[in-house]
Amino acid sequence: MNDRELVRDDEVFVRMNLAERVQHYLLIFTFVTLTLTGLPLFFYEFKFFKWVLPSARAFAVRGVLHRVAAVVLAVNLVWHVFYTVSTRRGRENFKAMIPRFRDVRDAFEQFFHNVGITRLLVRLGIGKKFFGAHPYWLFKEAPRYGRYNFVEKFEYWAVGWGSAVMIASGFFMWNVELSLRIFPLWVHNIFIIVHSYEALLAFLAIIIWHMYNVHLNPEVFPMSKIWLNGKITGHELRTLHPLEYERILEERKRTLETNAL
Amino acid sequence: MKAGRSLVPLALAVFLSISVRPAPAAAAGVTNDDCLACHSDPGLKSGAGRSVAVDPEKFKSSVHGQAEIACVECHADLKAVKDFPHAEKLKSVSCAGCHEKETQVLRASVHGGTTVAKDGMAVGCKDCHGTHDIRAKDDFESRTFAINLPETCLGCHRANVRNEKGGAFVELYEKSAHYRALEKSGLTLSANCSNCHGAHDIKGVKDTVSKVSRKNIIKTCGQCHVGIQRDYLEGVHGKDYVKGVKDVPVCTDCHSEHDIVSPKDLESKVYTTKVAGVCSRCHDDMALARQYGFLPNRLKTYAESYHGTASKFGEIRVANCASCHGFHDIRDPGDPKSSIYPANLPKTCGQCHPGATKHFAEGKIHNVMEPSADIKDKSPHIIKTVYIVVISAIIGIFLLFIAADLFRRAVRRKTHE
Repeated sequence: MNDRELVRDDEVFVRMNLAERVQHYLLIFTFVTLTLTGLPLFFYEFKFFKWVLPSARAFAVRGVLHRVAAVVLAVNLVWHVFYTVSTRRGRENFKAMIPRFRDVRDAFEQFFHNVGITRLLVRLGIGKKFFGAHPYWLFKEAPRYGRYNFVEKFEYWAVGWGSAVMIASGFFMWNVELSLRIFPLWVHNIFIIVHSYEALLAFLAIIIWHMYNVHLNPEVFPMSKIWLNGKITGHELRTLHPLEYERILEERKRTLETNAL
Repeated sequence: MKAGRSLVPLALAVFLSISVRPAPAAAAGVTNDDCLACHSDPGLKSGAGRSVAVDPEKFKSSVHGQAEIACVECHADLKAVKDFPHAEKLKSVSCAGCHEKETQVLRASVHGGTTVAKDGMAVGCKDCHGTHDIRAKDDFESRTFAINLPETCLGCHRANVRNEKGGAFVELYEKSAHYRALEKSGLTLSANCSNCHGAHDIKGVKDTVSKVSRKNIIKTCGQCHVGIQRDYLEGVHGKDYVKGVKDVPVCTDCHSEHDIVSPKDLESKVYTTKVAGVCSRCHDDMALARQYGFLPNRLKTYAESYHGTASKFGEIRVANCASCHGFHDIRDPGDPKSSIYPANLPKTCGQCHPGATKHFAEGKIHNVMEPSADIKDKSPHIIKTVYIVVISAIIGIFLLFIAADLFRRAVRRKTHE
């Protein structure tokens, strides 16, 4: 039996199970709500946001919505941590998610593979000797990724870090009196600044980086459907996550061999 | 019968002495009845078609009618006339004969202006007081009765009189709390036109003796708002006002003039969400800050805070300038009586933040980046700068990666074709 028969291109694998998808839906819901009800305060000078929040009542509702969404976000995060610790799949995902030096190298190689500047130099006859001796620097092949590539790992940990910062600073902003019983005013002021700039960073990261990678990227345009059905095909696995594909293939081969014995 | 007959002249004499006091009319020989014989005809018109009728009832109930002043006392050129009907063209009535002081004061006022027509007055006595039906100012029907006065003044000032602030400026009074108290609640103590501007002695606002000039406005408002005048004079603004500082705000600079309403009224110039705008007219002005040595950028730093941002969106349960600094008696932060003197901050902040601790005083509300500031006060600016650098770097890297990815895809598509 050859490899293509062991892992067929049309075979369906679960990339996000239901729990993971629901966690992602909740994250989308809370992120959108928090952004809509929070960013106007950062851009208070923009006329547009005056239109979004036209009245004192709208402003009061904004505050309630923001806090409700914040609580849902925090609960969702707790659920995710619990899920990650307590389920086998969660623990495996987590292991695959741990950042390694390899990810930095992947990002570097991917970038120079895409730009192709060294290959252009060789074609122009520059540094032929050097590149002949060190073909690595030509970045002829794109790096091969496992279950999670550097893009996905970065996003995952950015959400983790961002949520922690936002929840902590937001908690003290919500409870000003408590905060100022513990901290002096200048520390409380830092919470506010951190909360607003971290929000801006998160907003831009999602709008630019995540939206490109899962929507606008020509590979998946108009949108990767994994977040809806959680499914990934054998073909996609082989092309986008070759290392994971190979790991599954090896596993099946070993099973076959064991069975044959 | 004899006795009866002898009593007739006596009764007549008594009757006459009661009903007709030694009236000047009698001396001149022309009685009011003589005049009214013709002028009580409501249809009586002059040759020019102007009505010259006098309503006897109205005259009798007027202040002059009550005092039984003779017509010819005012229409003095008729005193000597024997033949009636008299000539049509009469001299203008002058009130100065009896009301000499008032007439002099009026002549010196803005209404007595030299610009003018009849008798050297732009506005004469009768324009406000009327003619035959003049009543005392405490008479409900008087044109100058407190409740009726605004309508009397607005008779001209509603549209006919131009002023620098536009035609409708005076009319704005009808929107004020003062007018509402007068009109709706019948509080004659409430300020009407003459309480602030004076009556016969009204002067232009730029005239230093005017009751509404910068020099006198505090005293004028203080006629009623005594406690506020006291507070104002104790505060920083009042102290500079007394020194004659020209830029210091007086009552009207914050509250406006004619359309003053309660600060709780949405239309008020000092409604909670508008306070910052009012104060920042001076306190966000670099030139004034330099001149008087106060800290600039108060509005900017307020707007950046949650208080300011929320207020900008119309939230009212949030601190404005006055919530912390006070209003009429705003004091220097170094004054132990000041609401923002560090030791008083827990109490001041505690108005909204129950149980506020001394931590509320350990940091700045209006935090402006100053090279001399210590690290605590610099920290927000340092953190902001770090964030801006980090965000720019991260977003820059994102964009580079996206550009590289799109470039590779474009090249690949080309080579495949």
